[in-house]
Amino acid sequence: MAGPSSAPTPAPGTPAGREPAAEVPFRRAARRFAEVVCPPEVRAGRRVDEVLREFGLMLGSLPPAARKALAAALVLLDQGARLYPPSRGRRFARLDDQAAGAYVRAVLARRDPAAELIGRLRSLVTMCYYELPEVQREIGYDPAPYIAAVSRRRLESYGPDIRAGEAAVTARPERDTP
Amino acid sequence: MISGLVTQEDVSGRLSLECGVVIVGSGAGGATVAAELAGAGVDVIVIEEGGYHPTESFSAGTVRALRTLYRDGGGGMAVGRPSVLYTEGRCVGGSTVVNGGMSWRTPDRVRQRWAEQEGLRAFGEQDLDPYFTAIESRLSVGLQDPETIGRDSELFRAGAQGLGWAVVPNRRNQLHCAGTNNCSNGCPTGAKQSMLVTSVPRALALGARLFADCRVDRITRAGDGVTGVTGHFVRPGGRRGPGLTVRARAVVVAGGAIQTPSLLARSGLRSASGQLGRNLSVHPNAVVTAFFDQDVTGWQGVHQAFQVREFADEGLLLTATNLTPPMLAALVPAHGRELGELMADYNRIVTAGPLVSDTGTGRVRQLPGLGPQVFYQLTDHDAARVARGVELTAEALFSAGARRVLLPFGGAPVVRDPAGLRRVLARPVAKRSLQLFSIHLMGTARMSEDPRRGVTGSFGEFHGLPGLIVADASLFPGPVGINPMETVIALAMRNARRLVERRDSYRV
Repeated sequence: MAGPSSAPTPAPGTPAGREPAAEVPFRRAARRFAEVVCPPEVRAGRRVDEVLREFGLMLGSLPPAARKALAAALVLLDQGARLYPPSRGRRFARLDDQAAGAYVRAVLARRDPAAELIGRLRSLVTMCYYELPEVQREIGYDPAPYIAAVSRRRLESYGPDIRAGEAAVTARPERDTP
Repeated sequence: MISGLVTQEDVSGRLSLECGVVIVGSGAGGATVAAELAGAGVDVIVIEEGGYHPTESFSAGTVRALRTLYRDGGGGMAVGRPSVLYTEGRCVGGSTVVNGGMSWRTPDRVRQRWAEQEGLRAFGEQDLDPYFTAIESRLSVGLQDPETIGRDSELFRAGAQGLGWAVVPNRRNQLHCAGTNNCSNGCPTGAKQSMLVTSVPRALALGARLFADCRVDRITRAGDGVTGVTGHFVRPGGRRGPGLTVRARAVVVAGGAIQTPSLLARSGLRSASGQLGRNLSVHPNAVVTAFFDQDVTGWQGVHQAFQVREFADEGLLLTATNLTPPMLAALVPAHGRELGELMADYNRIVTAGPLVSDTGTGRVRQLPGLGPQVFYQLTDHDAARVARGVELTAEALFSAGARRVLLPFGGAPVVRDPAGLRRVLARPVAKRSLQLFSIHLMGTARMSEDPRRGVTGSFGEFHGLPGLIVADASLFPGPVGINPMETVIALAMRNARRLVERRDSYRV
C-alpha cells in the first residue's frame, strides 16, 4: 500500500482564505497557547483569531499523522497542567497569564519527547503570528514594495539580456553539449 | 493553459496513458531528464505530486509557501538525538523552486573519492566537465550583479575577511537576480533559473507531457523489466482523485533522497546490496542569530551572496542567509514577551551558520500507513564539528561588529563577546541540545558498479532491473560537501544521455 498523500495541493492562485484548512483541535487550549507563546501584542484586535486561522491552514498541509501528533500535544499540554502544582488542578486553558506562562516555560525546559513536540507546536504558532502582515510591518519588514522596486530595476537595467535568456529556454537542443 | 501540462483540475476520470519513458518528479533530476529525452525525440511523461505554481503566484508569504510548495508544510523530521528538521520541495520544479540557487560543481576531491570507492565508470573530470559547462550555460550560472548584495552578506564577508579567512562569492543559477530575498518562497521575478522556468518549459516545448497533482503509488513490473507506474491525482484538501496508469518502456525515478527509496520500497523492489534507503546524508545546518547596533535590513538583497571556504578541508562551509520573520520566530528559542523583544530588532539581525559535510548516516524506512519515516544519527565527530562551525560563525559575526549572539544549543546563554563565546564552548556541547536542520538530503540509492555495495550502477540503472533508472541526489555515494543541485543536474543529464544512447535496447 502506498503511504498517505502527505498534504493537500491547493490549486495555483487559490485565495488564501479558500485554501484547505484543518479544524484547529482543542480550540480553547490552542487559543490560550497562542496568547502565551506569541508576544503580548497578539491580544490586539483579532490577532489571535488570525493566528489560529493561519495555524489551521498549516495543519491542513500536514500529513494525518503529524496532525494527530500536534493534537495530542495540545491535549497533553492542556491536561498536563493539572499535574503542575501552581495550577491547583486546573487545565491549561483555565490558567491565568502568570501560571500559564510559567507552566509553558517549565514544559519547554524539559528534555523529553513531549517537550520536543510542544516546542514544535510553539514554533508553528509563532511562525503563524509573524506571518501576519501588520505584525511584519511593526517590526519593519514590508517586502512587497521592495520586491516591486528591485523587480523594476532589474527589467530597466537588463531587459534585453533577460528577454534573450528567457527565449533561449525553449530553443531547440544546443549543439555545445556532450 | 500551458500545452502539455495537466493538473488535477483538468481530470475528471481515470487516465490510462502510454509513453516511451515515464519520469517521477519534476525537480532538478526529473526535469533535466525530461528536457534531454524530449530533445532527443523520446515520448516522455513527467508525473509530479505537487501543484503547478507559476512565477506570478509567488509572494513573500512564508507560511503560504510552506503550505503550497513544500512537502508536509516544510516540517519533515529525521528522528534521532538530536532530531533534524528537513524540508523537501513539492511542486512543479521541485526543490529548485525553493532553494537558494547556489550552483557549484562537484568538488574534485569528492568526485575522485566517489569514483574510486564505487568504481564508477566515465566519472573523471574530463567526463563530467562538459555536463557542468552545458548546465551552467543553460541555467545562466554566474555571480550576482553587485547592486543585489545585501548588508547581511556584506557584514558577514567583512567579519570573515577581517579574521583573514577565505571567502568566495556564490555562483547561482540566476538571470540577473533582483535580490528580492524570496528564494525560499519561490522567486517572484523568475530570475532564479529553477526547473519551473527552464527545463520544465523546455521539456514541454519539446513535446513532453506533465501531470501535476499526481502521486505515484507504485512502479509496475512484468518479468524482468518495468512496465510503467500507477498513481492517483490529489484533490485540494488531500482527497484522493482519479487514478492514473502509465505504461512505459523505462521508468526514471527522481523524487529526491526521501521519496525515491520510499517509492522503490513500496513497489516491492529490493536491492541485493541491502543499501536501499540507507546512507542518508543531510549536511546538518545550524543558525547563529547575531544582533547589531545599526540597521542591517538583511531581507533587502540576495538570499546568500558569499561562502566562507576557509574551513572546507574540515568539511565546514559558513554562510549568512537571511531568514524571514516567520522562519526566524520559529527557530529562536524564545516565546512571549521575550520573543517580541527579540523580533523588534529584526532589522538589526544577521543570521548565519555552518553547513557540515557529515560522516554519520541515516535511513529512510517505508512504514505501512505512515509513508516514509526518516531516522538519522548524528555522530560525535559531526556534533563536534557543528559546535566548531557555530563557534567560527559567531567569531565572524563578532568580528563584523555583532553586539550579542544566540547560539543554536538548547539552554545556551546569550553571548556578548568572543571571550563569552569561548567560555560557553569550553565545555562540550551536549549533542542532543543541538538545533539542526537540513535542506540537502542525499545518498539513499547510492550508485556503485558493485551490486553488493550500491543500489544503482554508474549511470543510475537499478541493479538487476533493466529500464529502471534513478536520477536524483539519492545516487550520491556520500555527502557532496557543497550545495548539491548542480551535481544532481549533471548526473541526471548524464543518465539521460546514456538512456538515449541505448534507446534501441529500451525501445524508446
